[in-house]
Amino acid sequence: MRAILIRQVLWLVGLAFLPAIGQTLYYRGNAAWQQPPVDAAQVTVAQAKNWGAAVLWIDARPDEQFASAHIPGAMQLNEDDWTQLLPKVLAAWSPERKLIVYCSRQTCNASHAVAERLRNEDGLKNVYVLQGGWEEWQKSGQ
Amino acid sequence: MSEEGRDRPRFAWDFFVRRGLAVLAGAVFVYAGIAKVVDPMRFASDINNYQIIPWSIGVRLAFYLPWLEILCGLALIFRRLYLGGLSILTALISIFIVATIAAKIRGIDITCGCFGHASKNWSFTGHLALDLAILAALLALYFKVASGNRLQMLPNSC
Repeated sequence: MRAILIRQVLWLVGLAFLPAIGQTLYYRGNAAWQQPPVDAAQVTVAQAKNWGAAVLWIDARPDEQFASAHIPGAMQLNEDDWTQLLPKVLAAWSPERKLIVYCSRQTCNASHAVAERLRNEDGLKNVYVLQGGWEEWQKSGQ
Repeated sequence: MSEEGRDRPRFAWDFFVRRGLAVLAGAVFVYAGIAKVVDPMRFASDINNYQIIPWSIGVRLAFYLPWLEILCGLALIFRRLYLGGLSILTALISIFIVATIAAKIRGIDITCGCFGHASKNWSFTGHLALDLAILAALLALYFKVASGNRLQMLPNSC
């Protein structure tokens, strides 16, 4: 049984390379092979500060992190409780306000996912992601 | 009624449950694989967010793993390379469950992206429950095959 198992595993592992190589070749000009692609709509803490009261902060972190501390005035919106939290955000939003979404740190992607959904599914304009997230906000001594 | 006659309905029931489970588990992985194949960069970003491996490796895995998932799922559905598919999928889902729990413990706010748009509103608990259910199904199928093989190897004395 072990010989059959090893043979079958090798077959599947090998076969999966064929379409994967094809797709890799198709994407070879587009994909960011060495560094993650940078979201063009990212803002720094300093930029966000300049926008002042026009900013509506969106916290995309999990409940317990939001409860422990968050940017003053921030509203919570994460993918776990999207349907419950979205109406409150939409009620607070107005076309002249800039939405800045943040998560824990530079490498987290919850803020990018939330920002993308707000842009694509809800058609909101002026949606940005805070560079460095909550970690960077704390470092700036706000 | 003979022993054989009494065993037949139980055998048929057992067979259909096993086949149903294999087809269902296989279909879940085919669906999950296709959802990732259509947007490999998004999947690369999801892998990167676990902060376990560097981006350059994660992006390559993002182009490979979905195809492996699809092929193994098809192996379960069509019973070709069945044991290999079962083993690979069991290993993949086990690694994924461990990585997800570890990320949660480390306080990383992950978005799973496992099933594309369909799973966007699922909670962490919901994802974990589904993953554990799939793991249980795969392990049940695996041990059924393993016990079947062991029985075949026994001398035919009874």
